Amino acid sequence: MPKIDVNEKLFFALAGRTYGAEELELALQGAKAELDGWDSNSGVPPEERTIKIELNDTNRPDLWSTAGIARQLRTLAGGDPPAYPFFSRDGDARPATRRVVVDPSVLGVRPFMAAFVISGKPISDSMLRDAIQTQEKLCWNFGRKRASVSMGIYRTSLIQWPVLYKAVPPKSVRFVPLQMTETLDLAEILDKHPKGQEFGFINRGKKLHPLLTDSRGGVLSYPPIINSADIGAVQVGDTDLLVELTGTDLPSVTLSASIVACDFADAGYTIEPVAVDYPEPTEFGRTVVFPYYFQKPVSVDSGRVARILGRSFSPAAVAEALARMGVRSEIHGQFVTVFPPEFRNDFLHPVDIVEDVMIGCGMSTFEPERPKDFTIGRLTPVETLARKAKAILVGMGYQEMVYNYLGSGRDYIDRMNVPGDGVLRIANPMTENFEFVRPSILPSLLNSESVSGKAVYPHRIFEAGKVAFKDDAANYGTVTRTHLGFLSAHGEANYNEAASLAAALLYYLGAEYSVEDCEDPRFLPGRQARILRNGTAVGILGEVHPRVLENWGITVPCVAGELDLEAYV
Amino acid sequence: MDTKSLVRTLHPLEIKVLSTYAPGRELSAARLAADLGYKEGQANQAFSWLTAKGLAEEAGRTVRTVYELTPLGLEWISAGTPEERILRHLADKGPARLPEICAALGLEQKDVGSAFGLLSKEGALSMDAEKRAVADPAWFQAAHASGRKPRIALLREILERAKAAEGGILEESALSAEEKAAVAGIARKRGAGDAGFRVADRESVSYRLTEAAGAVRKELADAGITGDEAGALTPEMLETGSWKNVRFRAYNVRGPAARVIPGRRNPYVEFLEGVKDKLVSLGFQEFDGSLVETEFWNSDALFMPQFHSARDIHDVYHLAEPTHAREIEEPFLSNVAAAHENGGATGSRGWGYGFDRDFTRRLILRSQGTVLSARTLPTAEIPGRYFGMARCFRYDKVDATHLSDFYQTEGIVLGPDVNLRTLLGFLEMFAVEVAGAKEVKYVPGYFPFTEPSVEVHIKHPVLGWFELGGSGIFRPEVTEPLGVHVPVLAWGIGIDRMALMALGLNDLRELFSPDIENVRLRRAKI
Repeated sequence: MPKIDVNEKLFFALAGRTYGAEELELALQGAKAELDGWDSNSGVPPEERTIKIELNDTNRPDLWSTAGIARQLRTLAGGDPPAYPFFSRDGDARPATRRVVVDPSVLGVRPFMAAFVISGKPISDSMLRDAIQTQEKLCWNFGRKRASVSMGIYRTSLIQWPVLYKAVPPKSVRFVPLQMTETLDLAEILDKHPKGQEFGFINRGKKLHPLLTDSRGGVLSYPPIINSADIGAVQVGDTDLLVELTGTDLPSVTLSASIVACDFADAGYTIEPVAVDYPEPTEFGRTVVFPYYFQKPVSVDSGRVARILGRSFSPAAVAEALARMGVRSEIHGQFVTVFPPEFRNDFLHPVDIVEDVMIGCGMSTFEPERPKDFTIGRLTPVETLARKAKAILVGMGYQEMVYNYLGSGRDYIDRMNVPGDGVLRIANPMTENFEFVRPSILPSLLNSESVSGKAVYPHRIFEAGKVAFKDDAANYGTVTRTHLGFLSAHGEANYNEAASLAAALLYYLGAEYSVEDCEDPRFLPGRQARILRNGTAVGILGEVHPRVLENWGITVPCVAGELDLEAYV
Repeated sequence: MDTKSLVRTLHPLEIKVLSTYAPGRELSAARLAADLGYKEGQANQAFSWLTAKGLAEEAGRTVRTVYELTPLGLEWISAGTPEERILRHLADKGPARLPEICAALGLEQKDVGSAFGLLSKEGALSMDAEKRAVADPAWFQAAHASGRKPRIALLREILERAKAAEGGILEESALSAEEKAAVAGIARKRGAGDAGFRVADRESVSYRLTEAAGAVRKELADAGITGDEAGALTPEMLETGSWKNVRFRAYNVRGPAARVIPGRRNPYVEFLEGVKDKLVSLGFQEFDGSLVETEFWNSDALFMPQFHSARDIHDVYHLAEPTHAREIEEPFLSNVAAAHENGGATGSRGWGYGFDRDFTRRLILRSQGTVLSARTLPTAEIPGRYFGMARCFRYDKVDATHLSDFYQTEGIVLGPDVNLRTLLGFLEMFAVEVAGAKEVKYVPGYFPFTEPSVEVHIKHPVLGWFELGGSGIFRPEVTEPLGVHVPVLAWGIGIDRMALMALGLNDLRELFSPDIENVRLRRAKI
């Protein structure tokens, strides 16, 4: 979930008021956001203070900026939803003096592009920092680490229009990337530039790479990696900046452009549209003038709102609550039709409107209601059986343990003296210490013994828990079972002790069983037995093989056993 | 400690000393041995205890010489000293040369030589013309007649006396001058391996009872405590009825109790079971499932788009082998795919992308308990309430606040009439009944699979305000494809923080500690 830094002075200016910490915390609930930190008492001057905010809604990228949060708080407090007259719509394009031409070569590479120009006043330090942060959060979270959306800002004074968006062989173009002084080709940028190393996965291996130049061939940027060090080097005080976004999905690219444009408009900048000429028609037309409003109206039955929220709602009450969320709507009989704000595209289903109604009304206006249905509660049969078994083992002097289910191949396979072919291995482990799912409880118990040499003996421990292993017969190729494992460690531990424990346990569980000889490498030959239920193996017990004990660094004899509890459910 | 309490801490060994002697009287181990029949160890124990309680103090120290019987000395007692054996040999076999004696008795020449020297000096032996040793029976008769014991007879007596003494020790002070001279001949200070006695210096400490002992003595007398009280009630006392005439020694009940190590439940598991029992009492049925799941059930069925950032390779664990489930059950697969692509029959516009039917079969370790809720939906009763405590796996660096696998508590409520207010009603029940909250508040939340979504925050009497859990109403894109056409409330509560608090811990790793001693000592605090 994104966390953003908000400049206090800019935020208060955009919100149209100041906040105390508690007020802000409460207000942020309306944006599903949390106050994560605020250096308000640190002695830092107000214009440099930072408010840290965590945003919980991954479907509302419009809230991931200072202007976005301020807008939500402003409208919730009763302010009018802002108007953005610079948006073009289907059949109603704004006049644009600047153009970007999309070359057919980008179609199989990174086909979509949106652009606009911000002007009217020089860019301030706090606004530039906020724009860079918005770019990062938007393109990292919403743009899937720049793979589906990325963004660049440029100095229009250095651009010879129209701008050209094309795809080129990576060795064919050289320029000086931002934050470097040497001239590199695109392949070299992926290898040498920090951003190339971070985001190179998007372009690497492709024959053609995206490139943005002006009409003289001056490079603006190498999307989605890095800007050029001249046209793409924006500084505080610059005016007339080109904002451009490229990506693989036109609605996402368009929405991202809309969000950034609205943020700058809220901060008092002028947004000048840019026309993008596509080589073939897109879902928004062949030439699209950005910022472009593409969202479709969504309707909801006010009866449905009432059913979901648990109290009566007239269509007018629905519309009123939506207005407090900055959402315009029209009433058509029972139905309310919603026109999503320019910066939002999260109304997938009428229920998404219901949530805005809920927040618009305020959570505290909904009274909790006790359920009226009658239902019967019960535990799973294996949980019930496990509790019986655990009570018996406790009665026999055993301490219950509870262990993690992930571990290393060393612990689960090598030290146990068993082959590893049935054990589930993780393809992308974080470390080799958590690379396998435990196939048995015994290694967990032996690990306990190996770290507990200082605890007073005898050690008698058990766990009822899950194990998982391969099983070709299952749809998933694996099964999960609930097992009961026990271990007794002391100077005189021997087979008879384990056998007596199993006999007592199964007697009191009322469970039928028999035993037979077996040759499990984890136990001493001739001092181990397989537990059978109706002829099927359901467990094992015996004296732990001294080689296994040695592998674990254990110097006290151990007897242990394991039983598949689910066999007795 | 007052005198009465002090009396209860006294051992019979102390009681007898206190009852027998008046304060100021100087006492030694030997004194106690003579008067009370204490062995030296018992006497020293009594002095040590009494001193620690301030009832006795050290009066002085003296160093004395003692003779300690060696293993060789002990052997001499049964087999005879070398001198005795030489004399017996000569008496039985007649005169013999020294080398013959050595060979016959298995003794070293120097030992035989020195024994011969001593005995001939005393006149008990002589050497004949053929250089044979000859015993002189007349000499013994003469010695006995004179009333003076021969040295070797004296030694035999001393050896027998030492054997009978405690620790094989003879006090030098208890020997006559003659005896001392005799013992000195067969004793060594060092290297006593070939001597009958080891000579050693022993320090003996003498004590005297303090004034405080006087009050205790009076208390003992008044209470009639003699130190002869019975230590234990025996079956024999009960059979014979002798317990009626026996006084039992009082225990010091303030003393520390010895540790026992019982069989015991794990406190964290008990905590979790307590939550389960609470939920069952609120009408919830428990569900459970496989640790290994598919992308389909873990996320796709929950309407999380396949390109969602939470589904990146570094957020879930993938299985290396097998990598994919053979199939996903129909019609759920097609229904869910349609919901993602264009909404299908759910009334949604969907996510608008091409659903990957290969990716959806990929096997992972379940990353959220909600997977069990999704799996339960197709067969759930209406009305119905379900919960599960599911072990989940996260791609996280393990530290005090993150684990590779941990429990999540989740559930669902199905019913034709459930709604936001019923959801708040359930959250309030959990807050009060499960978490013991005093105040509850609800704030809007966000979860990919619920709309609307609500977080519940509670004020716990000990922990203060914290987020108890998240909840919401399942999106129609989740329920409709799985064949459920009534609203479904979904909730999850985070109880790890309460568990840590309950167990007095501050590190999540401790919940799954393999350390036996840690777990043995752990106990719930709230």
